[in-house]
Amino acid sequence: MSRMQLPLLLVIALALVATFPVRAFDLNNLVKDLDEASKKLDQNMDSLNKMRGKVSTREEIEIGGNLIAGLLGAAPLVDDAELQRYVNDVGFWVAAQSKRSELPWRFGVIDSQGINAFAAPGGYVVVTLGLYQLLENEAQLAGVLAHEIAHVVRKHHLKALQQTMKREFWSELSVKTVDDKQDRENLRKLIGSGLQLYTTGLDRKYEFDADMRGVVLAARAGYDPYAFLDVLTTIDSINPEAAELTVLMNTHPPTGERLETLASKMDGRLDSYASGEDNADRFRQAAARH
Amino acid sequence: MLLGLPVQAAQQGTVVRQAPVYADASLAAQRVGSIDAGVRVTLFERKGGWQEIYSEEKAITGWVRVYQVREGDFGASAVSENKEDSRGFLAGLATFSRKASGFFSQDSGVTSSSTATIGVRGLSESEIRSAQADFDELRKMQGYASNKKRARGFASAGSLKAGKVPHFSGSK
Repeated sequence: MSRMQLPLLLVIALALVATFPVRAFDLNNLVKDLDEASKKLDQNMDSLNKMRGKVSTREEIEIGGNLIAGLLGAAPLVDDAELQRYVNDVGFWVAAQSKRSELPWRFGVIDSQGINAFAAPGGYVVVTLGLYQLLENEAQLAGVLAHEIAHVVRKHHLKALQQTMKREFWSELSVKTVDDKQDRENLRKLIGSGLQLYTTGLDRKYEFDADMRGVVLAARAGYDPYAFLDVLTTIDSINPEAAELTVLMNTHPPTGERLETLASKMDGRLDSYASGEDNADRFRQAAARH
Repeated sequence: MLLGLPVQAAQQGTVVRQAPVYADASLAAQRVGSIDAGVRVTLFERKGGWQEIYSEEKAITGWVRVYQVREGDFGASAVSENKEDSRGFLAGLATFSRKASGFFSQDSGVTSSSTATIGVRGLSESEIRSAQADFDELRKMQGYASNKKRARGFASAGSLKAGKVPHFSGSK
């Protein structure tokens, strides 16, 4: 229950006491009434948020799951349970340092030689095998995942989708009842726009934002935050015309510019965390089969 | 334990972007020179976002930003040795660099069609846009999820300690 609702609930509770003075002594009934009032309030908040174009966390997760299912349709998970669990452990630990640690965070390595990573609303993150194979240690992996986690925490994809689709769309959208034909159609449209977004990219300012927030999340998790600069440096050394980089380059600011911007922001702020762990041995073990 | 002996295996590296060189690992330190991209250097200590280097060519010792140098030799000889290493994985940046120049550059002697075959299977722009959702894979992904308890154990096994670090904007 959000903080905002508490005073309101007190008012409702008082009103209930005043309206039903006899029942007010029956604690069970009072709790039940309160429960119902709270449920109504939640529903009202939901529809109010809808009108303002806001999406509930539950809907966010639903939308994200559909988007990731789309990406998985294009490139399935690498068939290696140990690797997948390892990436989930690293990702979960980093996400636990964010202000949205309560999301159901899910991570995966997908079977593509393209060099890229994707996030979807609600706590979904995938890294391509092509990018994974460029990494040297766990701190670098943490840096990549942290960048994607930052996109989710800041709701960058949702914001972008909200800019693309009209407000009326969002007030009509109801992803809970996918039995309804209209809802299904709306959801399909939304997923289509979301997948399109993976090829056109977010506003470049969101990428810089995720870079800067990601390194802080990695530092919070005890990793060397500079490891992410190493990843960008590696990417920067690859011919940007390479087929493996097409989508990444089309959807992100030039790597050199990201490096300059990020390094100058980190300067003097994160130096003392550079002694963070890189857990290279553990990483190599998990990656050994690829 | 070796007491007080600075045991540093010096490694070779290359400046990958034009780098001002500072007397110490700080932008406030005195600037002692500048090195162009492509110049080979010896790498010493790394501190924060800084790397201590020595350039024989320029006869300077000093500090540059870590992203301005890379381990390994990026000279012209790099292109031909583009075999996968035995693990099928990348032993280091230098190895990768050789591999990358072989695999990825358009003019490296590797034809573009062979680049395409090892290329972006399943994730080209059009394939992403026209992807059909795979909910079985999504369920599989859910199945690999970690949880609080597991993540804490994982962190402690890797000597990872959570700390409070504010975002640059000051927000949580």
